[in-house]
Amino acid sequence: MLLWLIVLFPFVGGVCTAFLRPNARNAEAWLAGIVALATLCAVALLYPQVANGVIVRSSLEWLPQAGVRIALRMDGFAWMFAGLVTSIGALVVLYARYYMSPADPVPRFFSFLLAFMGSMLGIVLSGNLIQLVVFWEMTSLTSFVLIGYWYHRAESRRGAIVALSVTGTGGLCLLAGVLLLGHIVGSYELDAVLAAADRIHAHPWYPAALVLLLLGAFTKSAQVPFQFWLPQAMAAPTPVSAYLHSAAMVKAGVFLLARLWPALAGTDLWFGIVCSVGMGSLVLGACAALFQRDIKGVLAYSTVSHLGLMTLLLGMDSPLALVAAIFHMLNHATFKASLFMAAGIVDHETGTRDLARLGGLARAMPITATLALVAAAAMAGVPLLNGFLSKEMFFAETIFAGETPALRIGLPALATLAGVFSVAYSTRFFHRVFLGPPARDLPREPHEPTHWMLAPSLILVVICLLVGIMPAQTIGPVLSLATHAILGSRQPAYSLSAWPGFHAPLAMSAIALVGGFTLYAFLLSRRVLARLALRAVGAARRHWFDRLTLRLVRTFDRLQRLVISRRLQIQLLIIVIACSVVGYLTLNNSIARFSAPSITVLELSFALLWIVGGACALGTALQAKFHRLAALIMFGGAGLVTFLTFAWFSAPDLALTQISVEVVTMVLMLLGLRWLPKRIDTMDPGRRTTRARARRLRDAIVATLAGAGMALLSYTLLVHPGAPSPLSEFFLAQALPASGGRNVVNVTLVDFRGFDTLGEITVVAIVALTVYKVLRRFRPPPESLPGTARDAAQTMISPATLRRLVLPAAGVISLYVLLRGHNAPGGGFVGGLILATAFIVQYLVTGTLWVESRLRIRPQYWMAVGLLAAASTGCGAWLGSRAFLTNMSAHIDLPLVGDVHLSSTLLFDVGVYLVVIGATTLILVSLAHQSLRGRRAPEAEPVAGIRVRA
Amino acid sequence: MELIFAIAIGLLTGSGVWLLLRPRTFQVILGLSLLSYAVNLFIFGVGHLAVGKPPIIRADGATNASLYADPVPEALVLTAIVIGFATTALFLVVLLASRGLTGTDHVDGREHDA
Amino acid sequence: MTAWLHHVTALPIVVPLLSAAVLLFFSEPRRLPRALIALASTLIQAAAAGTLLWMTSHPASGAAPDGILVYSIGSWPAPYGIVLVADRLAAVMLALTAAIALPVVVYSFAQWDRLGVYYHPLFQLLLMGVNGAFLTGDLFNLFVFFEILLAASYGLLMHGGGTARVTSSLHYIAVNLAASLIFLIGVAVIYGAAGTLNLADLAAHWDEASPQDRRLLDGGLAVLAVAFLIKGGIWPLNFWLPTAYSAAAAPVVAVFSILTKVGVYSIVRVGFMVDPSKPVLYGGSLLFAAAIATMAVGSLGALAARHPPRLIAFSVIVSAGTVLAALALGSASTLAPALFYLVISAPATAAAFLVAGMAARMQMHSVTAVLDRDGAEATYTAFDVGEPARSSASMDDDEVGFIIPAGVAFLGLAFLSCGLLVAGLPPLAGFLAKVSLIVAALGSLGVVQHPAHVWVLVVALLGASLAALLAFLRIGVRLFWTARETTRPRVRMLEAVPVAFLVLVGIGLTVMAGPVMTYLTAAARALHQPDAYIHAVLATSKPVQP
Repeated sequence: MLLWLIVLFPFVGGVCTAFLRPNARNAEAWLAGIVALATLCAVALLYPQVANGVIVRSSLEWLPQAGVRIALRMDGFAWMFAGLVTSIGALVVLYARYYMSPADPVPRFFSFLLAFMGSMLGIVLSGNLIQLVVFWEMTSLTSFVLIGYWYHRAESRRGAIVALSVTGTGGLCLLAGVLLLGHIVGSYELDAVLAAADRIHAHPWYPAALVLLLLGAFTKSAQVPFQFWLPQAMAAPTPVSAYLHSAAMVKAGVFLLARLWPALAGTDLWFGIVCSVGMGSLVLGACAALFQRDIKGVLAYSTVSHLGLMTLLLGMDSPLALVAAIFHMLNHATFKASLFMAAGIVDHETGTRDLARLGGLARAMPITATLALVAAAAMAGVPLLNGFLSKEMFFAETIFAGETPALRIGLPALATLAGVFSVAYSTRFFHRVFLGPPARDLPREPHEPTHWMLAPSLILVVICLLVGIMPAQTIGPVLSLATHAILGSRQPAYSLSAWPGFHAPLAMSAIALVGGFTLYAFLLSRRVLARLALRAVGAARRHWFDRLTLRLVRTFDRLQRLVISRRLQIQLLIIVIACSVVGYLTLNNSIARFSAPSITVLELSFALLWIVGGACALGTALQAKFHRLAALIMFGGAGLVTFLTFAWFSAPDLALTQISVEVVTMVLMLLGLRWLPKRIDTMDPGRRTTRARARRLRDAIVATLAGAGMALLSYTLLVHPGAPSPLSEFFLAQALPASGGRNVVNVTLVDFRGFDTLGEITVVAIVALTVYKVLRRFRPPPESLPGTARDAAQTMISPATLRRLVLPAAGVISLYVLLRGHNAPGGGFVGGLILATAFIVQYLVTGTLWVESRLRIRPQYWMAVGLLAAASTGCGAWLGSRAFLTNMSAHIDLPLVGDVHLSSTLLFDVGVYLVVIGATTLILVSLAHQSLRGRRAPEAEPVAGIRVRA
Repeated sequence: MELIFAIAIGLLTGSGVWLLLRPRTFQVILGLSLLSYAVNLFIFGVGHLAVGKPPIIRADGATNASLYADPVPEALVLTAIVIGFATTALFLVVLLASRGLTGTDHVDGREHDA
Repeated sequence: MTAWLHHVTALPIVVPLLSAAVLLFFSEPRRLPRALIALASTLIQAAAAGTLLWMTSHPASGAAPDGILVYSIGSWPAPYGIVLVADRLAAVMLALTAAIALPVVVYSFAQWDRLGVYYHPLFQLLLMGVNGAFLTGDLFNLFVFFEILLAASYGLLMHGGGTARVTSSLHYIAVNLAASLIFLIGVAVIYGAAGTLNLADLAAHWDEASPQDRRLLDGGLAVLAVAFLIKGGIWPLNFWLPTAYSAAAAPVVAVFSILTKVGVYSIVRVGFMVDPSKPVLYGGSLLFAAAIATMAVGSLGALAARHPPRLIAFSVIVSAGTVLAALALGSASTLAPALFYLVISAPATAAAFLVAGMAARMQMHSVTAVLDRDGAEATYTAFDVGEPARSSASMDDDEVGFIIPAGVAFLGLAFLSCGLLVAGLPPLAGFLAKVSLIVAALGSLGVVQHPAHVWVLVVALLGASLAALLAFLRIGVRLFWTARETTRPRVRMLEAVPVAFLVLVGIGLTVMAGPVMTYLTAAARALHQPDAYIHAVLATSKPVQP
């Protein structure tokens, strides 16, 4: 389908170009040119259909749930714009071939140029508003890359960033507006939206949607107050400016206004905003253009002003104005593009774009001068040129548009003023560059460029003349086609003729011409004034954007530090408070009432037990800062009390685990304690700062509340009436028959919820690996080592028999604990811990070196085997096509021994046993090794630096 | 009995939270350990306190739930204890490493109000 | 046949465990076998995830009636034993994990895995934890898997050493230990009040609970939610995230971008399971406010970020906030778009982290290296990058562009597409997700109880996009448009291909947006009617074999 080709050609071409060899200018240019021409042909082929008023459509579903689809839709207006984009694109490619220096990596340039063309065509052919936004942002992105093409230059980077920031933001506003509009209409299809004008106007969201859409359009077309990005974008290579900033991208805004004109226009709001913004840009742009030093600066501001003219026309709610606007879009594209090309030629040949340095180039480059003269005249609105015609229509409109007297006088006056300015800057542009005394000390010796470089500009200028002289024959049909596509039945009658005859608009043009010349002459005579104005304009935009961004970033950084603290204490405090608050909010009225506890002897002893426990806990809390050892001992006391509590309330397994964990934790902490810095209680409570005291008070309150909350909650649950849960009933009932174990807790761990245990030992293994990983290259700080380099363990006098008995004895005990686990308190975990403890005792008793010289422990292998054992037990069930971890048990009748109950859970428990041994030993050993390392600490190795090659 | 148990949990939690909010790594690790004791007891308490009813099937094989303490919380606590032990050990090692690298035992690796 | 397919549900958990155990047997120098094992294991997980995706999306095939696959571990019936449940959402998350893990594993073969010992075992175990958290249907088992993935993440976070990594992981560990304790409290309260740990069972008995128990259950859930939110990186519980994520090694943090999603997933899973009518865990406005604040803070941080990893870390925060805000809106229609956004943002952030890792090496050559010194140090030594190359800055005024080395061009394009995906800008899928999200939000104006929330959400979404655009613009220009960067960075195939893969995933999601959305809509519907899930789970009361 031809429509798809139109959009796809450029993208495909762009991708292909990107893969060509850098600096193959000709290949690049040929490919790009062919693509552009092919697209142009595709557009041209569609003319017959479009001319018959057919709207060519084709669509593809993308995200139907959100009403997003790629719908290509070409009516007369779209056709005109597509023709404009492609034809100027082709010319620019030809121009760029000779403009870009041979050393430039043109693949990037041409591929992005083509990509931009594709995106632009996507906008033009959009039949779906979301799709339009998509391509809209794509033009912003591609233009960003094109403007920043020479990204080694600061102003290119700045220009690109500014352009993308502004247009990207506008694009998001456009998206918001489109979403609102779509929600109002109930569809994102362009046809539906255009058909629903009344509903849109009536809807309460209309103002919001309108403003958002207009923001998108104005940012794109560089309308006041967003005009500033366009001059900065002049840092782009001139072909880019000639394309994006005259014909294509900046036109997207006015295109959108015209496209949605039937749906949005016709309200006072629209009239007010669009007209005032248009008028503002028209006048200010023209005024600013007069005082630029950079040629491209002049052209950029004049573009702003001309786009303002179109915006103003679109703002007036009259079909004729729309016609004029569309007509001017075409004209402006032609003369402005050729002017940019001329400016590029000047820049290319002389090496500068500074109006103050240039001058008298007409002798050196007559052809360029002639072309520039015609184009500038068209821009100024000289009769017999296309600019003149559209400007006449514009003047006429300004006269008839206003209702109120103020507008009746104001609009024409301002319009004429803008005309005066535009004549003035056009004159200045031509006079400064080509007339006057020939400039000396130019970077390069000026001379005509190659003819091929002039050709594009020439073609455009010829079009200017043809349209200006015989409009009805040349542009007439296209214009009527385009306007009819938008206005339909409302299309007004208008006459296109080179000479409209004497009437008010002509008078305005005359005033503009004469006034413009005199103004420029006046400025010439009063150099000072001009220079002042120049300085003012120059000062207006001196990298303010950078400073702004810098300040913003600084502010953000400060704010960010405020809302995201880097201090752990604050984070933990917030977590505790959040938890408490949430708990309070949900649980406050469900706390159980207290029943006066009946004091029995048992209770008393239990109370005594916990008085000790509580004292230990509080003592730990108070002593942990200055008397670490004392705190640690009291902490151990608390753990001991916990152990007793478990034992008390008929949880033997828990008690066993608790005590063995207790022991190992203690050993760990003692091993670690010695590397913490010495801390002597120097500051007595009197000398604490008030802030510190306040903090402590706050924490104390939080801690008390949290403790109280937990106490209440647990009391509530303790006295919570309830039948024993179905789970426990099931487990108790199934333990012996189904799993052959009497110790229900152990059976639960290795069978009912064996999966948890599998995860649990995995965690243990992971931690061991991590500990090893961290400590492997870690060196304790020298000052924290014992002064004499003698291992504390070495000094311990111990009978040699003990040395050798520790391990075997412990091994037997642990195995016993492991095996009885299924029926009595015990199990793999406790057994493993016992053996691991034995290892560490061995270390302590005999010293690290002694142990490692005698027995080689490879803890990670123990863990690996253990994990494999446990996991493969689970997988074994698959062989019996049972689910993972299904318990497989068998009763074997061995001679002499009798009935032996073999169960896969035993293997599983062995796995647990092995993992625990391996992990604990690995942790303890790698901690113990620090003391060895410590002795040879002085060797200089970057702390935690990684030697990969080693 | 329940009341004392609850108060005990409260005490452990309170001291734990207090230590958790202290600036020294050693205080924080002790706080976390105390908190994990508190939480373990809390989970354990969910299954109602029972004296002299270990969940180990008697010789007569009676499986009446009223004869035994609830095994489920015990199993959960056991897993929790183990995981708590492991992560505590890890935290200990990391705080040692941090102390070795930064030269201070402040949780943020640098003294704020020196 | 289906009997065997059935076991696929367990593979994402068992395979990494076994492979990790086997990996322990191979000492560090033997890289090839270790690489092969890690790769194979990850591939198997990917295959399993794909199979589950297929089974859940084709209920007709009979393997998974109405898209739910229940696997009871140890063949113990549902409320008693532990069940793995693979419904559409879980399958999507598994596939997402695999899609990120696979390229990251390959990426880390480029010497990243040599920054420290036991990289691959820990990596596999991390995957085990993540997959398990997605699959399990049991609260306490969820806790266990959280612990697995956290423990592994501690080890990986410190992979490569360096002060920044160790100190940040000190915070990370402390916070997460606290979170785990909170988690346990919540589970205990729920067990005490409901007497069950199985999610489906809990949901089934949710309504017949006495008012007192109901309050307790609400409390337990709320406490759980705090733990989930901490892991999900929701402000003000996420202070640990930016520092930790910007300190970790590139492949590690790339796979971390799935971790916050685990937190969000748990909230979705548990919240919708027990109470689909009020899915906003526990007091909508509060959660909504927190989510919006998260988006704001994340955007702020992104705008203030000085170097890529920090920027991306904040983008992770923003995406978590976005998903949660969409959920907390309390409208049924926003769930699917939110999931879509989640699915898109995870691989995008992962790819961005990988690119940042490569670009950091490129930056090392340039004089203006703005980089986390400690984080870089280990990397320098690992990639034995020499002295920063001084190169001329004297080319500021000639009109000849640089010939971008293919490597830089590739990195730049990859970074650009990641930025587009994360920021939710056209033409990539992030945009579609945001559009569909906003459309759904506007559509539910009449439904939700706080219409104001809709507007806040819309503004926040667009604002976040804008902030991300500007932030990525700043960092990207500073990274790839530095005039001094003339030295050709070494872009290894081992690193480029994974990045390309992840970017292609993003593009694929863009092209296939329609079908993906259809699947996710089905998943969302299933979440809103959990009865199917509940019945499927509780129907597993097979006779227990003696």
